Parts: sequence; structure tokens; C-alpha cells
Amino acid sequence: MNERVERHVEGFLAALGYPLTSTPRMLLAAGIAVCTYILLVLSTFPSYSAQMLAAGVGYLDDAVLALTANTYATIGTVGLALVVAYAVATGVALTTALGRVRHGSASGASGASSVLPGLLASGCASCGAGVLGLLGFAGALATLPFHGNLLRLGGLLLLGVYLARVGDPRRCSVSPTGGSA
Amino acid sequence: MDVPDTLTTRRALLGSVGTVLAGGGVVYAAPHLESESSEATVPRTPASSSGGGAGGANATNDSNGNGTGASLDTGFHYSTETAGFDIDLASHPVMGAMDAPVDIYYWTDYQCPFCKRFEHGAFPKLVENQIREGTVRLVFIQFPYLSEGSMTAAVMDRCVWREVRESTPGRYRRWHGAVFDAQGEKGSGWASKENLLELTRGVEGIDAAAVEAKMDEHRSDIEASIKADRTYAAQELGVGGTPAFVLYNRGNGKAGKVTGAQPYERFDEAITRVKNA
Repeated sequence: MNERVERHVEGFLAALGYPLTSTPRMLLAAGIAVCTYILLVLSTFPSYSAQMLAAGVGYLDDAVLALTANTYATIGTVGLALVVAYAVATGVALTTALGRVRHGSASGASGASSVLPGLLASGCASCGAGVLGLLGFAGALATLPFHGNLLRLGGLLLLGVYLARVGDPRRCSVSPTGGSA
Repeated sequence: MDVPDTLTTRRALLGSVGTVLAGGGVVYAAPHLESESSEATVPRTPASSSGGGAGGANATNDSNGNGTGASLDTGFHYSTETAGFDIDLASHPVMGAMDAPVDIYYWTDYQCPFCKRFEHGAFPKLVENQIREGTVRLVFIQFPYLSEGSMTAAVMDRCVWREVRESTPGRYRRWHGAVFDAQGEKGSGWASKENLLELTRGVEGIDAAAVEAKMDEHRSDIEASIKADRTYAAQELGVGGTPAFVLYNRGNGKAGKVTGAQPYERFDEAITRVKNA
């Protein structure tokens, strides 16, 4: 049991460190994280964001700043920190997933099957982080306990589990029972 | 497997520091953005909540719903007419000239931070450039949906309006502005009946005891009316959050919608578009 936990912690740390192994990976992860944060913040008030962006891309910074302030005022420091953490975790997860495609294809693994879990984990977790707003359920999030922060935390944990299982995509580990992980 | 790139201490440090700086920066800056948005406003007009109130010099009491012909009038009016989209004005404060060509219906919740951003951002410019000039008539409509305190504040809003609408309607804005100035965290209890009454006692020209009496007597009726308004706005006009605005050309019935606390320029463009439609 302890060994299993240890392996997952190691995998999680290895996955977290993967974007830092080269400058392009680091930039890719940072870019995805920034895009995710912008998407999540804009999705907290989709109709406002749509009108602002339709008026001109120049309003993007206005919209992001206004909705960041609004998100803070609505869900507090913890909520905003969870959204930031989610954006960073998505950057790491998608960079890792792309790494799996690259390294997986070299070892014969299917590209889709290696990237799908990462996309699913990011997509499911995003429900708590803000995409519910895009689907018109922003009000529902506001009525949840702790203003939906529990759901956000749940999404973040889901991403964490994905990262722990993936580890460093450049390495194949062999479990004691003989299966590869 | 060959591992060409390695996690160097320098990269790890750079990544960690970058992440902490970026994430921490967002979380740290957010409350400052909020306070900036509250403070960085144009100077309030004499009709502002903290000033003498719109009713101070300009408020009129036109209970027939007819304009007093004062195109520079930014005062409040009590009207029994029905506006665009079958909005019954009797329950809602109306600000601006009664013969203004464009109506703006403004749905708000006193617990909504984005509404506060509008109140301190675009609203004073809207008053100065569009309402004072007689182009726009603004109708305040409560849309309480965030928590129980929202409904309490909305009910008290109606009671304050009932108290002042016939003799001193302009005093409504003092109260309205004072509540937004006192806005606290959603659900923290700042919008409890007791707190709001205490705040009302501090607003010059509003009889808090009379407001409390009205609230005790009419709360359930007012709540039912507010809920009906809210359902109508949500189902018929697509209002899903606050602040929300419908701009209505009173001459030809053309309308447009502005959602959220957008910059004044966006309101200006939308008003021009609806007016010329």
C-alpha cells in the first residue's frame, strides 16, 4: 500500500517536473496555463465576455481584469487560488499528454489512447473550475456549498490523480505484477 | 529509453518561481483590482448617493408619468405608466427625463460585486452624459438571486421607494448608493434586515422607522411581486445574471441588450445604435 502511494507521489512529482525539462515544454505549459485561466475567468460570465470580445479583441484585457476582480469578490481568495491552480495543472497535464503522444508513438502506443485520459481529466475537472458557466450553470455553482469551491477542489484532485498515474511520459515503468504503467 | 532533456535545478527553480509569481500575482492582485474599480471613478455628480442625492435640486414628482419637460432633469420620478416589454413602472424608480427617447431597464442585485463595479464605473458617466442630457431614462429593477440577503435588500429597496416616491423621490438614490457603498461579502450577513435598517438610519432624509413598518406589513406581497418580476425577466427577456440592461427605443420599439459591468463607451455605442435604429 505504502509502496503504491509512494509510486503515485513519485509519478505526480515526475509529471509536475516534466514541463521543466526543456524550455519549449516550459513555454508550452505556461501558454496552456494562461489560456486556460483566461478561458475559465471569461466563462464565469459568458454573455458579458461574448459581448466584450464581439466589440473588439482590445477589450480582452478589460474583461479578464474585471472578471478576475469579480471572481475574487464572489468566491474569495481560496476560490481564485483554486482556479489558478487548475489552470497550472491543466498546463502540466496537457503538456504531459502531448509528451505521451510524442514518446508513445515512438514506442508504438496509440496517440489517441495516450492523450485521451489527459483531455478527459482536464475536461471533467473544468466543470468545477468554470466551464459549467459556459453551459449556463453559473448560478448553480454559486448555490453549491462553499460557492462551488469543493467542486473545484474535486476537479483539481482528478487532475492530480491523472498526473500521478502518467508520471514522466518519457519513462515506462514496469509494475511488480508485470504490467506496464 | 533515452532521456535527452533533464530537469535542471535552474529550470526547476525558474518554473517554480514563475508559477508562484504568476499564480500568487493573480490572487494577490484581484482584491486590489476590486478596490481600484471601486475607487477609480469619475467625480460623483451632485446627484450622487454620497452627495445631496438626485432629488436634492432636480427631483420631480410626476405621478402622472408625464415628463416635466426638463431635459436636464436627472431626478427621479414616480410613474404609473407601463414601459416597454410591459414593465410596470409603478414599482420601480425611474431616473431621467420622462420624455427621453431611450429607456434603459437595469436589473441589479445589491449583493452583486459586478453591479457595484457598474455603479462606481460606467454609471456616473451615464448620468452625466446620457441621463442629464435627456437621452436616457433609467429604470431600476431588483433581480435578487445571489442569497437570502439579496431578497431582503430588494424588499427594503421597494419599501424605501414607496416611502419617498411621492414627495421626495430623489432621496432614493442616496439610499441606493449607500447600500452599494456598504456592500460586503455575499452571504456574510451585511444585508440582513437589521444591518440595512441601521444603514437606512444613517441616510439623510429617509425615515427608517417608516421603512421598517412598511417592510413588516408588506414583505410577503413585495417578495411575491419581486419574484414575479424576476421570473418574467429571466424567461421573457433572457436575464440570467446581473447587472443586465435592456435598451429600448420608445419611438419604434427596437431594443438591444448589454450584459455585465461594461465600460461606459460600450453603453454609449449601444445607446446610439438603439436610438438610431
